Amino acid sequence: MKASPKEFRVDAAEKLSGATSYIRDEQIPGLWYGTTVRSPHPRARIREIHLDPHFDWNTVTIVTAQDIPNNYVAMLENDMPFLAEKVVNYVGEPVALIAAPTRAEAEEAKKHLRVDYEPLPAILDMLEAEKSSIKLFGENNLFKEIVIEKGNLETAREKAAAVVELEARTGYQEHLYLEPQGMIAIPEKDRVILKGSLQCPYYVKNALTTMFAGLKHITVIQAPTGGAFGGKEDFPSLLAGHAALLAVKSGHPIAMFYDREEDVQVTTKRHPSYHHDVAYVDQEGCLLGLDLHLWLDGGAYCTLSQVVLARAALTATGSYYVPNVRIHAKAVATNTVPSGAFRGFGGPQAVFAMEMLMEKIAQRLGLPPHEVRRKNLIKEGQDTATEQVLKYSVSARETFEDVLQESDYEQKYRQYQEWNKPILEKLRKGEYPKSNRHDRLRGIGLAAFLHGAGFTGTGENKIQGKIRVELTAEGKPLIFSAQTEMGQGEQTAFRKILSDALYIDRDDVLLAEVNTDKVPDSGPTVASRTTMVVGSLLVDAAEEIIQQLSYRLKEEQGVQFDYRRGYFYGGEQILSFREVAQKYAGLTVEKQYHHPPIIKFDDIRWKGDAYPVFSWAAAVAEVEVDPVTFEIRVVRYFTTHEIGKAINYNQAVAQIEGGSLQGIGYALYEKIKLQNGKFDISGFTDYIIPATTETPEFQVKILENPYPFGPFGAKGLGELPFVGAAPAVLSALWMIFGKEFNHLPVLPEDLLQLFSKQKNTEG
Amino acid sequence: MKEISIHFTVNGKKVSLNVPSRKRLLDVLREDLGLTGTKEGCDVGECGACTVVMNGRAVHSCLVLAAQADGAEILTVEGLAQNGELYPLQKNFLEYGAVQCGFCIPGMLMSSYALIQENPHPGEEEIKEAIAGNLCRCTGYKQIIQAVEATVKR
Ligand code: FES
Ligand code: FES
Repeated sequence: MKASPKEFRVDAAEKLSGATSYIRDEQIPGLWYGTTVRSPHPRARIREIHLDPHFDWNTVTIVTAQDIPNNYVAMLENDMPFLAEKVVNYVGEPVALIAAPTRAEAEEAKKHLRVDYEPLPAILDMLEAEKSSIKLFGENNLFKEIVIEKGNLETAREKAAAVVELEARTGYQEHLYLEPQGMIAIPEKDRVILKGSLQCPYYVKNALTTMFAGLKHITVIQAPTGGAFGGKEDFPSLLAGHAALLAVKSGHPIAMFYDREEDVQVTTKRHPSYHHDVAYVDQEGCLLGLDLHLWLDGGAYCTLSQVVLARAALTATGSYYVPNVRIHAKAVATNTVPSGAFRGFGGPQAVFAMEMLMEKIAQRLGLPPHEVRRKNLIKEGQDTATEQVLKYSVSARETFEDVLQESDYEQKYRQYQEWNKPILEKLRKGEYPKSNRHDRLRGIGLAAFLHGAGFTGTGENKIQGKIRVELTAEGKPLIFSAQTEMGQGEQTAFRKILSDALYIDRDDVLLAEVNTDKVPDSGPTVASRTTMVVGSLLVDAAEEIIQQLSYRLKEEQGVQFDYRRGYFYGGEQILSFREVAQKYAGLTVEKQYHHPPIIKFDDIRWKGDAYPVFSWAAAVAEVEVDPVTFEIRVVRYFTTHEIGKAINYNQAVAQIEGGSLQGIGYALYEKIKLQNGKFDISGFTDYIIPATTETPEFQVKILENPYPFGPFGAKGLGELPFVGAAPAVLSALWMIFGKEFNHLPVLPEDLLQLFSKQKNTEG
Repeated sequence: MKEISIHFTVNGKKVSLNVPSRKRLLDVLREDLGLTGTKEGCDVGECGACTVVMNGRAVHSCLVLAAQADGAEILTVEGLAQNGELYPLQKNFLEYGAVQCGFCIPGMLMSSYALIQENPHPGEEEIKEAIAGNLCRCTGYKQIIQAVEATVKR
């Protein structure tokens, strides 16, 4: 759909003309290039770093652990070094850095540096971590353990007509932002300037201030960012540290630009998960109790695993009401690349397991899968596993019913089952399954899902994000915030929210460059919090600007001024916002976020309002499977989202489609395996993401159900669409084959196996 | 590395350069000519971010050597807009909301441009096929396809 000009993205024209300057497009005189010497072992002791005496080391700069004042990346736990000193804990862990005037010279020097290792036994299976005699973190290799309990599982067990058990697994996923990681560090006397592709400027600033033990002033500037999806949340702190160390030691500006292979090999991935779940249900399929166990593989260092685990645990019951629950969740350490933030942040793994459990309950009780879900969807007034009573903006049922109707789910479910019968029959008998070249098995699947908007638990109150708005000499409000644009539309949304709140033109609102010397810390651009949390501060700022301007007019002119739709009315006068703002140019308003006082969470007992509100969605995926090659394709994808209020409707739809497609990739294409601790992928060739040819026809609908504390009622959107796509696709496979699908991704060879196994058992 | 001298036309301008013979066209454009609108996403011809139009055809500039560009006529994303006015294809990308992070966009534009030059009235399937080698991680491709469709309908 063509948007109205007021809705066009504010950053699009420049991106379309090729003028937007991403970090690799910067022209910096005297720029040197850095490269990283990495561990080839999953775990080893470093014996010695050996420099070839025949090589001229005067032309390059080398940095090792000895050069670093505080050798840890300040994050949740300070366990990850910038450079390994005595032991390496994963394949690809940085050991030394080299910089030279050109990339080729840096690479050449790298060939003359040798690290001697003594390989050590490693933990490569997350389920062995806790009991392993190898200690990577604390006493039991648990980054975090969470237990959430509500009600009494005993009562559920006693009343249950059926007990349904499921084991499930999800794999790694790579962000594969089109622009690989990139950072430039520019050294000055007492300061280092970092400019790069990143989501969270203040994370980088804090990590580097700590690294230099406060001896350097750190300035962080965000360059236009070519996609992030969480992959540029935690990782840039490490990369910026490397660039800064080389810059300070060499005295030259340094570029750390990963090529695609390095990027996919060593940067963070989505946490693989393992689930063991038990559901107690009555004969109707109503959930009486859930006993859920989940493990996340955090990799060698903690990064953000503790909070990823929290979100996974808090999302584990999905969009459903359950009277009795126990959730037991663990994030463990292994000798693999540290897992990190990725769109959904633990939610997708949790919802996947819950949705597959729903499929299994339906199968066991012989009920249609949508009926079982329908009976259990949570509604206003009911409470979650943490006893958070949902008081407003609850649309689990509304989105679910809507998508069933939009997609004609029930009718197609029956039709496709009939259609598939003869094909499946032939497959079972081992006959050639097609009577026509175009014969495909047809499946339809569904998922209900949710995303808690904003930080988990007390996070927002800890951060207390701040923004500032100033009136420029031209009478235009200028927004200062640390929120970053990475493709999701932050710049467009912010300008729209403030201009709508002030009743002025969007083009009259300006955004300051994201530079930590200029913008206050409004918190990181993560957790679908930008529009909902920081956006609400913009609305508050608008109100205060109007108040202050009215007050000043009154002081000066002695009459009361009222503001309506862009004009101040007072006495005989009508003054436009612009005129008044020009008159009082320089006026500055600051706003700081606090949770609405009715939102309370106890993060010791895991009770209360884990999130200020949830965004809700449901999806239906129509899938076709070639019965000969077992190639799987999603042909149509319907989804209904309720996000409070869409700030920019067309862009919200685009965001939903993009997120859904990433989820389809997670379900069917994106696979990474470990070979002795090393990822078996090198880039787009062997890690497949959906192209136009793998993209279904999308039908997206957005429902409104305002959140009282969001700007114009808006809630978080960015992560939600990803969460339900994989379970919806797999639900369609359950429907076609009537078999259990409990792992991600599912590839044609998995389906093939289904039939070779079947033949074996039946034959 | 051996230096060679090459001559070609970029965005309507004639250029002559001495460059290492094995230098990639992508680097010649970005480093020697400062045309940084063309992006690098992979270096192996798999992502399409580096697509430019060479002698009327869309090519991966990461796979073309400078020597192969000698005598060629090349169009990059910077050459689409005329006198500061976006080219119709660009305008439709803007109006249909096809841009998110923007990193794939120059390549998308150049592949679509080459398609339209060769086939002024492609259908939806032909458009999808033409940009199947251009990967985008942000969008669901729908707005991109719609923008190309709108351009050819005019
Ligand atoms: S950079 Fe040339 S195809 Fe990816
Ligand atoms: S818009 Fe980001 S990769 Fe296409």
